[in-house]
Amino acid sequence: MGAEADPSSPDALRTGVENRKPAGRRRRFRTGRLHILACQIALLLGILALWQLGLTLGWLKPYVYGTPLGVIKSFAEHIADGTLLRHFWVTGQEVVMGFVIGCGFGSFAGLLLWLSPLWAKILHPYMIALNGVPKIALAPLIIVWFGLGMESKVAIAAIITFIVAFLQAYKGTQQVDPDLIRLMKSLGATPWQTFRKIVVPGSVPWIVSALRLNVGFALIGAVVGEYISAEEGLGYMVYYAGQLYDLNTVWVGILSLMIMALILEAVVARIEQFLDMEV
Amino acid sequence: MMSGQEAVLSANAARVVYNEDSDAPVEAVRSITLDLRRGEILALVGPSGCGKTTLFNAIAGLIPLQGGTVEVGGTQVEKANGHVGYMLQKDLLLPWRTVIENVTLGLEIRGRHKAEARRIALDLIRRYGLAGFENSKPSGLSGGMRQRVALMRTLAFEPEVILLDEPFSALDFQTRILLQADVKRIIREQEKSVILITHDIGEAISMANRIVVLTNRPATVKTIHEVPWGGEETDPLTIRDLPDYQHMFSAIWQELELAPH
Repeated sequence: MGAEADPSSPDALRTGVENRKPAGRRRRFRTGRLHILACQIALLLGILALWQLGLTLGWLKPYVYGTPLGVIKSFAEHIADGTLLRHFWVTGQEVVMGFVIGCGFGSFAGLLLWLSPLWAKILHPYMIALNGVPKIALAPLIIVWFGLGMESKVAIAAIITFIVAFLQAYKGTQQVDPDLIRLMKSLGATPWQTFRKIVVPGSVPWIVSALRLNVGFALIGAVVGEYISAEEGLGYMVYYAGQLYDLNTVWVGILSLMIMALILEAVVARIEQFLDMEV
Repeated sequence: MMSGQEAVLSANAARVVYNEDSDAPVEAVRSITLDLRRGEILALVGPSGCGKTTLFNAIAGLIPLQGGTVEVGGTQVEKANGHVGYMLQKDLLLPWRTVIENVTLGLEIRGRHKAEARRIALDLIRRYGLAGFENSKPSGLSGGMRQRVALMRTLAFEPEVILLDEPFSALDFQTRILLQADVKRIIREQEKSVILITHDIGEAISMANRIVVLTNRPATVKTIHEVPWGGEETDPLTIRDLPDYQHMFSAIWQELELAPH
């Protein structure tokens, strides 16, 4: 996985608005959505039923796979003693802080690089290397630099998302039509005017697609950081429970991470809508 | 509506060479000498790749000359500073801006007041058939309307010379004919001086006062034709029915050094 994961996404994001259904078809669309929701719930229940069936028939061993009831029980316990909420809160903070810092500085730096073709040339091989490297491989280094506390997890998430946001934003600036830049020049525009009026708004779809990618990367960064060394957080919870073969609790941690991902995705979708309207 | 004889732009032995200092310099424009009179439309026709667009870039000050001079309004062109308005085959409208915001782009760059820029833009938009679309995004407009917005953007900041680089070639036939008539009328009304690049001889004859035929690359001026009906007849369709139209068409056709296919 790298920043290039979905080059077509900016176009997909742009056309989303125009694909709205006409008002007359709204009712059918609604029913369709309900059907889909029903199927989604049925799929979840089906998986749980198969899981339980497998356990009852002895195909699956509870200490290797956990049990649906055990997961619910573990969930209730962790809610009751407040540990789940605490872990959720810690990881949530790490992810959000890392995401905001990384995306903010990364996008900014990527855009600014347009102003200096010389620096862009100098940095080119480094960018290719950074794009290709599995960014999570940096995690142990960052833990050494930032210590064992929350800062190091924020730093891992921030550095990974920085790289992705930086590369995507720079790529966005390179997609701006050269004829448009020629037009701006012929109008007598300064590079700074071209940057503000053409390059920055023209790169927004790429920056937004980086936000999308970075929800996942920020979560990976924080959780892997917690795997390596931590005393709290969902990653720590999953890792620790895994060591003890408490697989029900592992599932609780994984499901909590999924919920966090869904929340963050929804927030990013909102930001995306807002930028799409503005730009 | 009379075309004065005074030159608003003059090129004198203008020469453009790419990669001049390298082992393989490419001479794109050998020597172009021509005058653009105030208020006229001057068409440049020539085989494709003959260096027309290169010449445009040089006139706009986007690339340097390796010889000769280009003067606009009596001042030698040294760099791009908005002395010419540019309109290309692509409309180059900014998709995130509304029609009116696209039209004000050039004025913004020149540091005009926002309210004033909007007033100028609104006036043009309403006068030339885009009323009601001021706040639309370009994605909702047809190709012809988009090109019209591009023309408004070019007119808004009142350049001394307007360069049209095949502005109609991406449009379907009907839209093209209609827009040619409109653009010709608007340019005459606004008393603009225009150089029109086209590979369509019919377009050149029906729009221009004079037609410059260029040679193959490296470009030089081959002949200059005075269009007999000049500025009087404005409707390109009527012009296509005139008896002289065919004569002129075949004369220019024969002068073009078209590569054998």
